Amino acid sequence: MRLIPLTLLAILLTSAALPQDTLDIDKILDEEMNQKKDKTELVEATFKTSRIIHGHSIENTAKGILDFKISHRFGTLNNGFYQLFGLDNATMRMGLDYGITNRLMIGWGRSTYQKQYDGFLKYRILRQANGVKAMPISLSFMAAMFFATDTSSLRNNYNIPTGVKMNTSDKLSYAYQLIIARKFSTDFSMQIMPTLVHSNVVPYSTDPNDLFSIGIGGRLKLTKRVSINAEYYYNIPGRKLEKMAGEELHNPLSFGFDIETGGHVFQLHFTNSRGMTERQFITETPGSWGKGDIHFGFNVSRVFQIGKRKS
Amino acid sequence: MKREKIILYLALAITGFTAFKAASTLFHATEGKISFRSDAPLELIKASSNSLAGIIDTSKNTFSFKVAISSFEGFNSRTQREHFNENYMQTEKYPDASFKGKIIEDLDLSKDGTASVRAKGILNIHGVDNERIIKADLTVKNKVITLRSNFVVLLSDHNIPIPKVVYQKLANEIKVEVNTTLQPR
Repeated sequence: MRLIPLTLLAILLTSAALPQDTLDIDKILDEEMNQKKDKTELVEATFKTSRIIHGHSIENTAKGILDFKISHRFGTLNNGFYQLFGLDNATMRMGLDYGITNRLMIGWGRSTYQKQYDGFLKYRILRQANGVKAMPISLSFMAAMFFATDTSSLRNNYNIPTGVKMNTSDKLSYAYQLIIARKFSTDFSMQIMPTLVHSNVVPYSTDPNDLFSIGIGGRLKLTKRVSINAEYYYNIPGRKLEKMAGEELHNPLSFGFDIETGGHVFQLHFTNSRGMTERQFITETPGSWGKGDIHFGFNVSRVFQIGKRKS
Repeated sequence: MKREKIILYLALAITGFTAFKAASTLFHATEGKISFRSDAPLELIKASSNSLAGIIDTSKNTFSFKVAISSFEGFNSRTQREHFNENYMQTEKYPDASFKGKIIEDLDLSKDGTASVRAKGILNIHGVDNERIIKADLTVKNKVITLRSNFVVLLSDHNIPIPKVVYQKLANEIKVEVNTTLQPR
């Protein structure tokens, strides 16, 4: 009669009370920690440094950090043993990158090839993040200006006869780039770079001054400090330069390794490009992988803390 | 009717006792501060986190502490913090460090007072377990426990190798300091 439901109630009550003895504080702690996680976490270190190989990566130099960059490109491997497979012919770029804020960076550089000065600004518009305010991609905008001062090289490339005076504007060119990147996992990141290069002077009157290309780049981490990188820019037909100084131009393709130790990043790579800045390596690459016009090169990046330390 | 009453009262009494006892044995960390320093010949690195979470069960003298590695701030540069998470701690793979175990001394943490205790448990950092006995000073006052502890963690104990290039800038002996208040949960 009433005994049965009452016993059941009794059992229910006591069984509800008993498990308190076997408290799992680890589980309770985990629950507490999960409840506190209401923040958004920015995804960091999509790439190890601000360049993939020649071109920009989504990474910015952090606020107050000065990044000294030295880049070397040697001659082509098909130059043969006499030229030590290109090692005897080297071009170099020295550059300084600086983080003005965590979103805005500025850089300057000078390349020995065409004795070109360059300057750029790169701004982080969107940052990939996990958590409450999730963002699947990172988005940056880069704008650069190039000033080549080696007039004999320019005259040769752009078919400007020696009698004709060259203006300052003839030596200037610009690049504008959107970088869309995603860190897929700890080991794998990829980005797409639609790019516009504007060159005031071009080789032939039939060449457009606004040159469009789409770049694709990525990195695969092999160990904690070593990664393999690749970079390719596809010059859009109809909006690209075809020939320069009698040589056919090709799309730039580069492969490399990033090795990171302490404050340095070493990048070793193979590429068919001669230049190290956007106008030179995207729109004016005469080398062809098929013909063995492969340059070995390296970038060394050294970071210094200039601005005030955080907290 | 009388038998039913007895059973009901007995059940309620048991529920009452156990529920009453369980309510006051858990203390959880409300201000959990943990910091570490690496004192090497060429560089001093300091970082701290205010997100140390922990629970002490005073009925069994067991404890469980955890901290998210990504919550550590300080360092000498943002790049150094990135390296800390990406290369040394591998935070994406091992997001937390924890210490779980039992207090050796038989204390009554419900009474006011100060005591120097030894916490014996498993310290897990970078995915590697290490059995440790860590000394701590506990002060109980008005149902609030203040915990302070200073101990050393060897990077070599937790599979965190120091590259030769930076061996003068990173010490194998890391000095850790914990300062936290625990209140009844």
